[in-house]
Amino acid sequence: MPTVPPADLLALAPVAILVLGGIALMLTEAFLTSGRRRYQAALTVVFAAAAGAAALLGPHPARIFGGQGTADAFSAFVTATVCLGLALAALVGAPWLEARDAERGEFYALALFGTSGMALLGMAADLLVAFISIEVMSLSTYALAAWMRRGRKPAEAAFKYFILGAFSSALFLYGTSLVYGASGSTLLSDIGKGGSTALLVAGLVLVAAGLAFKVAAVPFHVWTPDVYEGAPTPVTAFMAAGVKAAAFAVLARTALAAFSGAPATIGWLAGLLAILAVATMLVGNLLAVPQRSVKRMLAYSSIAHAGYLLLGVVVAADRGARQEALSGILFYLASYTVSAIGAFAVVGALERQGRTPADEPDDACDVDRLGGLAKRRPLLAFAMLVFMLSLAGVPPTAGFVAKLLIFKAAVGAAQYGLAIVGMLTSALGAYYYLRVVVFMYMRPAAEDEPAGVVSPVLSVALAAAVVAVVVLGVGPEPVAGLARSAAALLR
Amino acid sequence: MLLSLVVFLPLLGALVAAFLPGSEPGQHRGWALFVSLLTFAISLALWAGFDAGAAAPEFQFETKLPWIASAGIGYHVGLDGVALLLVMLTTALTPIVILSAFTVGDRVKEFMIALLVLETAMIGTFAALDLVLFYVFWEGILIPMYLLIGVWGSQNRLYATVKFFIYTFAASVLMLVGIIYVFMHDGGSFDYLAARSALRVSSEAQGWLFLAFALAFAVKVPMFPLHTWLPDAHTEAPTAGSVILAGVLLKMGTFGFFRYAMPLFPDAALRFRPALAVLAVVGIVYGALMCLVQQDMKRLVAYSSVSHLGFVMLGLMAVTAEGLTGGVYQMLNHGVSTGALFLLVGMLYERRHTRLISEYGGIAKQVPWLATAFVVVTLSSIGLPGTNGFVGEFLILAGTWLGRMPRTQILAAVGATGVILGAVYMLWLVERVFFGTIRKEENRLLPDLSLRESLVLAPMVLAIVVMGLAPQPFLAPAKPAVDRLVVRMQEADRRLRARDPSRPPTVGTEVPALASGSQAPAGALAARPPAGGND
Repeated sequence: MPTVPPADLLALAPVAILVLGGIALMLTEAFLTSGRRRYQAALTVVFAAAAGAAALLGPHPARIFGGQGTADAFSAFVTATVCLGLALAALVGAPWLEARDAERGEFYALALFGTSGMALLGMAADLLVAFISIEVMSLSTYALAAWMRRGRKPAEAAFKYFILGAFSSALFLYGTSLVYGASGSTLLSDIGKGGSTALLVAGLVLVAAGLAFKVAAVPFHVWTPDVYEGAPTPVTAFMAAGVKAAAFAVLARTALAAFSGAPATIGWLAGLLAILAVATMLVGNLLAVPQRSVKRMLAYSSIAHAGYLLLGVVVAADRGARQEALSGILFYLASYTVSAIGAFAVVGALERQGRTPADEPDDACDVDRLGGLAKRRPLLAFAMLVFMLSLAGVPPTAGFVAKLLIFKAAVGAAQYGLAIVGMLTSALGAYYYLRVVVFMYMRPAAEDEPAGVVSPVLSVALAAAVVAVVVLGVGPEPVAGLARSAAALLR
Repeated sequence: MLLSLVVFLPLLGALVAAFLPGSEPGQHRGWALFVSLLTFAISLALWAGFDAGAAAPEFQFETKLPWIASAGIGYHVGLDGVALLLVMLTTALTPIVILSAFTVGDRVKEFMIALLVLETAMIGTFAALDLVLFYVFWEGILIPMYLLIGVWGSQNRLYATVKFFIYTFAASVLMLVGIIYVFMHDGGSFDYLAARSALRVSSEAQGWLFLAFALAFAVKVPMFPLHTWLPDAHTEAPTAGSVILAGVLLKMGTFGFFRYAMPLFPDAALRFRPALAVLAVVGIVYGALMCLVQQDMKRLVAYSSVSHLGFVMLGLMAVTAEGLTGGVYQMLNHGVSTGALFLLVGMLYERRHTRLISEYGGIAKQVPWLATAFVVVTLSSIGLPGTNGFVGEFLILAGTWLGRMPRTQILAAVGATGVILGAVYMLWLVERVFFGTIRKEENRLLPDLSLRESLVLAPMVLAIVVMGLAPQPFLAPAKPAVDRLVVRMQEADRRLRARDPSRPPTVGTEVPALASGSQAPAGALAARPPAGGND
């Protein structure tokens, strides 16, 4: 048994902070509750901020634990992004749960544990480590999806998520075993040694399929709308942003490792991913158009966004455009995190609440809920406007810069077809995002429409998200530069 | 920095307005008017400081700063003469529009903020010298305009505004791909000047790039057959929105051809020129014919925009100094005269709450001042000598006639019918609205122009007369930019002929002596190219 150098342990500091935070939150639930739990969300934010800061400021050894992990700038960026997502989701979650009398310390604890899994996933340089991290992340999110377990929809959503998640884990594990069979190692850096045997290609395809489930890429997306709609809204926000970011981090690493292998393997994998990307962009955007429920629309739109991110992964196959593509992916993840969580937060604030847990109005998140919002709550409407524009990729918002960086990489790699498909589908996206704006600004509210719940905590989260979207859109250089230097390490 | 101040002052004003209480609309009206007037005053310094000499630098008031340095995107702004004129048009039109919009009573705060944000985006579009910066401003226009039409428009506004947004957004995204492609092939820079001098792409790629840019611009112009969003958007928009749309937004399309599509891809521009010129002429005639059958005044004015912008495009595609100068001048004219028409129609609408022509008739006696203004604007719109419209249309048609484009004289002749049709539909409109006998009782009690309305219209009427009688101050700044474009296109023409010796020259004028000696107004003489077109 080799001894573990202290530096390797230090590199895990962000994960350790998140786990400690999870334990702390569990303990507060046991010892420090007197009905008022406001501080729990704040505590979660503190832990998330500490973990994010530790990731960004801590040491960046390229190899830890004998190459099974890495704490490079790429992983630091991913960790910081998921921590940002966690903090926002916690702030969004607190008032939502309080309104439903469901706020418990375990909620935050699970979110913190889940985030630790995501952070680990960003650091994984070994398929088995990745598998374990995925499980850590997923078990927490399964439980979170079932948080409102007495309702029918949440229960169905959680069950579906669990079953399909387990299925995808099995695919991933099976793929890992095939890769091990071909290359004699589970280390990502050794994938290239497998040559271009059918065994390796099959293994990689299965690994990619397992991850495609997690990022909700077509045709592995069918669980997404139901799960996203059924899960508690703050959890949906957390899943959409965090799980996607972490899964894309490991997908990018795996793809890069495979791209460094034999040309035949590269061709296979890149072609497959390109097909996935096109299908995901098309299907996600097309199916988002007819949705009446904003939550469901956002679920399909999250599929579409996975398509653009996949496009980035495909482009990374080209050595010349690799840095561009990876920095684009990172920036896109950060931008999507703030935009999507913000959008889900607004949906959550306006969601129609049943009187009992079993009473679930079918139109809880319909676009009608947003009717006349600009008159009822101008600031909330403005925030949603900013998020919608960012998701649609209209300048000057974060979403535009993110798309610009991704498409820039795609054109740089001479993937014109993919870039054009991406551009045209994003124009399609403008249609359904704008419909939300139409309802908010240009239609009257229904007679009995309640004004929605906007607590000070939620206001803080929304303000932070709006500022982040605008700053990333107008002055993206600090974050874009960080993403670029993070991506440089993976060349 | 002066230019940056002009660009961002309205946005700053909008930010301040966001903190003023929304329950006091008077404050917002006054503040927005003040900010836009201040912007106009500062932009006068640009006008005064611009050096239109041939030796002066092409772009003036330049500022160049890194913006997203890691992606090669910079903040680069500067003005050539054409951009200067369009910036002046924008800054002059905005206070007029804001003053005219004092009658808006619903959500005044948001309305004024949207107008100010729109002004920044419009000025930025003309001032940008970085392709991504340009794209950001170009798309940034959509948001406030979308809200202006959708929130404050008339009955069918939702359909119109979504159509407007989707049409222009979808057409523009391919331009972004084109911009990125340019970046990859000009040594890694989004800077316009670098792109123009260093772009090295194959002839086929240049064709695709030109089409990607041209699609975005052609929708905005709008060129036939991509114009269908325009009648809806113009008709449903509130008066202020219509004026801005017609006055400035459409010019962004023609400006895009002048600044980006033609100089960046001159070879491809020459290849696609005949098709675009034919579409321009079709647009002229089609727009005019559609005007003849409109029941709705606003829709009529909207279709007349299709016709007028067809003239501008024809002038640009002629690629003669006269045609280009006329095109640029017609951009300003259309901004003034069609803007004024929309203002007048808006005033009539506020009095009677209908835009149907048949609801009016014989009201000249009731509203003599309004009728007078309408007639003056109409004369400008149909290009009567002595008004600004004449100078522009004459230069365009002369420039096209004398040009070397294949079958250019047929195009000019057919285009000229648009002038005649224009006179028919506009004078017929005036007759049906203002003259004859009053048939509707409601029309007997119409009040004439208020002081505010007079203040709105006075500068427009003044501009029509001044620009018609003394076009020189407006043509002079455009001259260097026009000459440079002609030279650039001539070089491209020479390149094409070197490759294909049987190809006749297509740029410049056929008979230089005739061009310079013709009975053109002062402007045509001033705009003679240095090479005289004799290559």
